[in-house]
Amino acid sequence: MRDRVLAVWRAGVFLLAGAFTGLVSLFAAPFLLVLALVARPAATRLLDVAVAYERRRVAAYTGRAIPEAAEPNAWRHGAWFVLHALTGTVVGLLGVSLPGAALNAVLVPLYWWIVPEDDPVASPYPVTSWTGAAFMPLIAVGYAVATVWVTPWLARTQTRWARSLLSPAAGARLAERVAELTASRAAALEAHGAELRRIERDLHDDTQNRIVAVAMHLGIVERALRRDPAAALPLVLKAQDAASDALAGLRGVVRSIYPPVLAERGLDGAIAGLIARSAVPTTLTVTGLGRAPAAVESAAYFVVAEALTNVAKHSGADHCEVRLSGLDPLVIEVRDDGHGGADEAGGTGLAGIRRRVAAFDGVTSIDSPPGGPTVLRVELPCGS
Amino acid sequence: MRVVIAEDDALLREGLVLLLGTEGIEVAAAADNPADFLAAVSAQRPDAVIVDVRLPPSFTDEGLRAAVEARRLVPGLPVLVLSAYVEDSYASDLLGDGTGGVGYLLKERVGKVATFLDALHQVIAGGTVLDPEVVTQLMVRRRADDPIRTLTPRERDVLSLMAEGRTNSGIAEELTVSEPAVSKHIGNIFTKLGLPPSDAGHRRVLAVLAYLRA
Repeated sequence: MRDRVLAVWRAGVFLLAGAFTGLVSLFAAPFLLVLALVARPAATRLLDVAVAYERRRVAAYTGRAIPEAAEPNAWRHGAWFVLHALTGTVVGLLGVSLPGAALNAVLVPLYWWIVPEDDPVASPYPVTSWTGAAFMPLIAVGYAVATVWVTPWLARTQTRWARSLLSPAAGARLAERVAELTASRAAALEAHGAELRRIERDLHDDTQNRIVAVAMHLGIVERALRRDPAAALPLVLKAQDAASDALAGLRGVVRSIYPPVLAERGLDGAIAGLIARSAVPTTLTVTGLGRAPAAVESAAYFVVAEALTNVAKHSGADHCEVRLSGLDPLVIEVRDDGHGGADEAGGTGLAGIRRRVAAFDGVTSIDSPPGGPTVLRVELPCGS
Repeated sequence: MRVVIAEDDALLREGLVLLLGTEGIEVAAAADNPADFLAAVSAQRPDAVIVDVRLPPSFTDEGLRAAVEARRLVPGLPVLVLSAYVEDSYASDLLGDGTGGVGYLLKERVGKVATFLDALHQVIAGGTVLDPEVVTQLMVRRRADDPIRTLTPRERDVLSLMAEGRTNSGIAEELTVSEPAVSKHIGNIFTKLGLPPSDAGHRRVLAVLAYLRA
């Protein structure tokens, strides 16, 4: 009952405002029409003001905004304006007068006898006797029932008209959706391209350089063996180290492309595995995680692996905490209780994380005051 | 002999310094970025520079641009460029000014120390040295009206070896023919490519350029 009354009240307020703007529109319509003929941009601006007000009014009443076209259609806006000018006042007053009539009918028995006899209360019939007045409460109930149904219905009808005329046309909506999809597809391709460039860089600037170093040291060894075999040994060892580095780097690159464990155990399972192997005791909290695209999961896995390596190598922490959450963006937080002061220029770890995340248009933030704690936070959009 | 190096990878940079040092070539400076490299070139006036194509900050072709810039600072400065992979447009950029003293090699060639040093010396002597890989790549991409298509297979072999920086005797040895025969092939190549008779060294560079630009 309370809800019904509230609904009627809200609809009444909405319709009253509509009646007022409808009346203003009715008087403004001829002026706007003339303005449209002589100075179209000015007329469009004025129309936009009216439309903007109506959007706010409808959004506030229905709790749902009217979608706006990227390119507003002045004809559709004009059509709404004319419709509102012609119907706004009538519909609004009808909606407001019904509850008014109900209230009046309740009050008639109290005041009908004061009203002059030759001009009696006439709603809906002339009340000239106590018998006539006695039926009034019944009439009031009738009005009230009509109000409960009709007033919100009128308000809804008005919002429907506004919504259908002020929303983008179906074709325009489709075009906008296509534009959105095109943009997101372009972003996905861009991310894919950035990922390929990253792999290319890792292979050329890291792995290949290591192997070149092997070849170079072997070349120096070859020359040394001819001249002074004793000098060759440390160079052989250096070449060996470079070969081991190259292999480790290659494994790293391959794993960074797609760690096989992701396919087998999913992102949370794979990261749980990382944490189990971590040198620093680490806890994992996973909330609301779904399957993300393989490339994103792979990047997330890489971020956690690098972060844990950094924690173990540099932080001096006793405890570390990894949190994974969210579907889109996927949020990764790695927090340790070490001595802080992580420096991005210092090692390749943090820079590598930033580069990998940037390839997905993600955000990396590092908060590491001297004395700790260090918090690495990464957001990875999942491209939906 | 003094050289300046630009190589961002620490292991490779130290390796190069060691390699050149043991071969009696003084490394006047070894930079890991284009700015330091160019400063060192201005200050040291080396006999040659050895530059990695990929240098910071973006690791694309900063090294190449630094090499071109170094040659602008010191005209005719012999430049040996090392690259992670073959990209013939790099070679055209370097040879663009039509003068010699340019080398373009894949990085791994430093492993064959003798060949690498040979290339370095050729470059310092004003020659043009292209990696065999570059030459092969250039060979397969030829337009129909390219004068190089009029060359006989043997003449093309000779031109390839010229591009790699070999001398006449080197070419003769490689192809197991006599030196006069090589000279005759080279004369034919110059004629077919329409290169005017002038001093032989410069014509060799022009022939290689024709090769690159087609």
